[in-house]
Amino acid sequence: MKPPLRETPLAARATRCVGALLLVLFSHAPATAAPAAAAAANPRTLRIGLSVDVDTLDPAELDAQESETIAHLLWGTLYKTSAEGRLDPYFAESYRVSDDGRAYTFKLRPDLKCENGAALSAADVAYSFEHAADPAMKFTGHAAGFVLPALQYAGIQVDDALTVTIKLKAHNPIALGLIAEMFVYCKAPYAAMSREQASTHVSATGPYRLVEWRHDDHVLLERNKSYALPAPPYERVLFRIIPEASTRSAELIAGNVDITTGVAPDQIDAINNSDTAKVESVASIRRIYIGFNQKEKFSATAGGRAIRDARVRRALQFAVDVPTLCEALLRVPCARAATMIFPRNDKTGIAADPYDPDRAEHLLDLAGYRRGADGVRFAITLQTPRGRYPNDVNMALAIGQYLDDIGVKTTVEALDFASVYMPLLRKHDAGPLFLTGTSGASWSALYDLADFPAPDGGANYTNFTDPEFYAGWKRLEMTRDPVEQEQIIRAMLTVFHERGTWLQLYFLPDLYGVSNKISWQPRADELISLD
Amino acid sequence: MIDLLVRRLLQSVVVIIGVTVITFTTLHLGGDPTYLYVSERASEEEIIATRAKLGFDQPLHVQYLKFAERLLLHGDLGNSLTYHTPALGVVLERFPATLELTFCALLLALVVGIPLGVLAALKHGRPLDGGIMLLALFGQSMPSFWLGLLLILTVGLKFRWLPLSGRVPVLDPLFAGDFGTAWANLPHALPFLVMPSVTIAFFSLARTARLVRSSMLEVLAQDYVRTARAKGLSEFRVVVHHALRNAWLPVVTMLGLEFGFLLSGVVVVETVFSWPGVGRLVFNAINHRDIPLVQAAVIMFSLVFVSLNLAVDLLYARLDPRVRLR
Repeated sequence: MKPPLRETPLAARATRCVGALLLVLFSHAPATAAPAAAAAANPRTLRIGLSVDVDTLDPAELDAQESETIAHLLWGTLYKTSAEGRLDPYFAESYRVSDDGRAYTFKLRPDLKCENGAALSAADVAYSFEHAADPAMKFTGHAAGFVLPALQYAGIQVDDALTVTIKLKAHNPIALGLIAEMFVYCKAPYAAMSREQASTHVSATGPYRLVEWRHDDHVLLERNKSYALPAPPYERVLFRIIPEASTRSAELIAGNVDITTGVAPDQIDAINNSDTAKVESVASIRRIYIGFNQKEKFSATAGGRAIRDARVRRALQFAVDVPTLCEALLRVPCARAATMIFPRNDKTGIAADPYDPDRAEHLLDLAGYRRGADGVRFAITLQTPRGRYPNDVNMALAIGQYLDDIGVKTTVEALDFASVYMPLLRKHDAGPLFLTGTSGASWSALYDLADFPAPDGGANYTNFTDPEFYAGWKRLEMTRDPVEQEQIIRAMLTVFHERGTWLQLYFLPDLYGVSNKISWQPRADELISLD
Repeated sequence: MIDLLVRRLLQSVVVIIGVTVITFTTLHLGGDPTYLYVSERASEEEIIATRAKLGFDQPLHVQYLKFAERLLLHGDLGNSLTYHTPALGVVLERFPATLELTFCALLLALVVGIPLGVLAALKHGRPLDGGIMLLALFGQSMPSFWLGLLLILTVGLKFRWLPLSGRVPVLDPLFAGDFGTAWANLPHALPFLVMPSVTIAFFSLARTARLVRSSMLEVLAQDYVRTARAKGLSEFRVVVHHALRNAWLPVVTMLGLEFGFLLSGVVVVETVFSWPGVGRLVFNAINHRDIPLVQAAVIMFSLVFVSLNLAVDLLYARLDPRVRLR
């Protein structure tokens, strides 16, 4: 006997109908929703997880590190810095310097092309420099805001179709490295673009061209067919913007990205214990240090007065165990920095100060800062940005504890970086102790030294004014002999070291997550190179 | 009705002016934004030149008046200092992503929260009621970033049921009139929407369930419900047609506020799930003190919030004949 027919409830029938309709409709939908999705699934695509989006793709206005990373794949430069810190020919085959050191003449490769296939000539190189230098454009990025002023750029001259001469206001021993930071692009497409258009529309000259930039989501590049130099290893490069460090690590472990930047120290074990990826660490060019601000205004406090004494500053160098701080808070080994020069370029022979709290106490006693009845020698404030560098607040708290241990009662003030800390720092008002980091270069000791071009230099946050140190710059201007340059640099840094201007910490270890499917090594200069 | 609309629009203008003044002042209280746009080695001359380029060398009131003049006369909110393109365009570009997420979250909160609230009221004092209220307690006390990461690690990474982060756009092509792409993207977009929507909805869902429960408990004790039952109507009809219809009113009031709350509160979830929406954009813009961009986003949010509340007021009057719009 058949069971009695039961009426299907209306809701159930409606659900089935809608389900069937969706199935029919979606079965006709294309399999790929967007170029990025297709590229992500392609094994010839390199997928990189970045923490921050690109701010602009206008080669004259680039500033942020992430933009620079992508820019190096989109545009070439006359010379380029290798991973080892060498300056190698790139768009230029060679260069020569005039006798007075104020003119750099570059001979271009003859086979260079713009993205549209037109030949790239000396006029395009000249446009790249003049456009960035044009005051009417009001550019504030890396080229106009730093490279050209630091270069002491005076103009550019087209000598012939493949030769340009860059003129400087004065001899500059780091000119070639600075010139290597200027991107070369083609005049015709950029002269036709408004500034707004240039920020999103790319006409490439480098190994890749822009396919798609979806803000805060991804940037997709593919090989530039007009690029005459050897083709890059990957057909496409997909930069995914993944701001949260835990999510980036999860995507790496899941195999959805091949490289991630900015691995958080607490995620190193999770990545290394996975079967799919590992963490690669490299000491970057960013120097992390505690500055002693010697500005007069800090004399009102006991700590501010104390650190104006070079003997006190020297004593405090021995109070902090830097390798232990790195192991505990950054979860990677690091060496204590000896000088402000990137170790590969440091030929001064100055050794890093060891951790020796007894010596620190002895030196403080000798300087006249004995422990009081409460065990305190003097009190001081240590300011730190919050979230600017990995574990920065904890690092400052730990350093404060080391200083407490030798009788320097330290109060740590953690400040918002953008609204409070940076304005203080830029006005040279952070302190009397402050934790910060400044970026150097992998290709020149002189570049690293240029944080202190003059007592009123922009990055002289410590108000260091020693005339013996600054006299070194005059001597450097007079010589072209590399050996003599090294001697002068050694003398300058010895003064800097003896005056205890910075409490040297470390060259910030950059942590990258790298998929086991690829072979890739990070660079000290934070660029993601595919060479 | 027309009077009400005009009055509300005028009020909205005052609200928006107030919001822009407060935002403008607050962003400048943190010091000179110029320092965020110069190299760390910039000299004093370079800083002064950059300050002039960005217009921060003018007194604060002059800067605001120039901004207001541009906005009122040309509808121009200025260019983003970070992206170097019109600020409103940058916000509008991200808006569909946030709208998509907020809409899904609200839908989820209502579809799940209302039945849970009704169920809890009907089973008042029983274990099911306790269970639902415990769930609501979790929903309201659990930080969204924690729930989001938990979902990523379990549902996404361990079980591989859903994508961990990212987005496939649906509303963007739809707003651009490209229905084909929107439709084609929809099935690809849904898996990406699930975890962030659940994360956002969990808080609202809990609140909705609690509100519906308390409202239903009040209504279920009314005489007309007893009368409906005495007439012999099915329990389903009593609950849905008589009780829920009246219990619905406070939920409608909450709806407008909730949508605004969700819209402005998605910043954490957008960050955790790499969702390219307005919340993340504003967070970054505040960090970079990109004043035109923050202003554009704030005006946009204010407009949406004011419009939603107006819509809710109109809807309220429609649902409850006792309410008259004046």
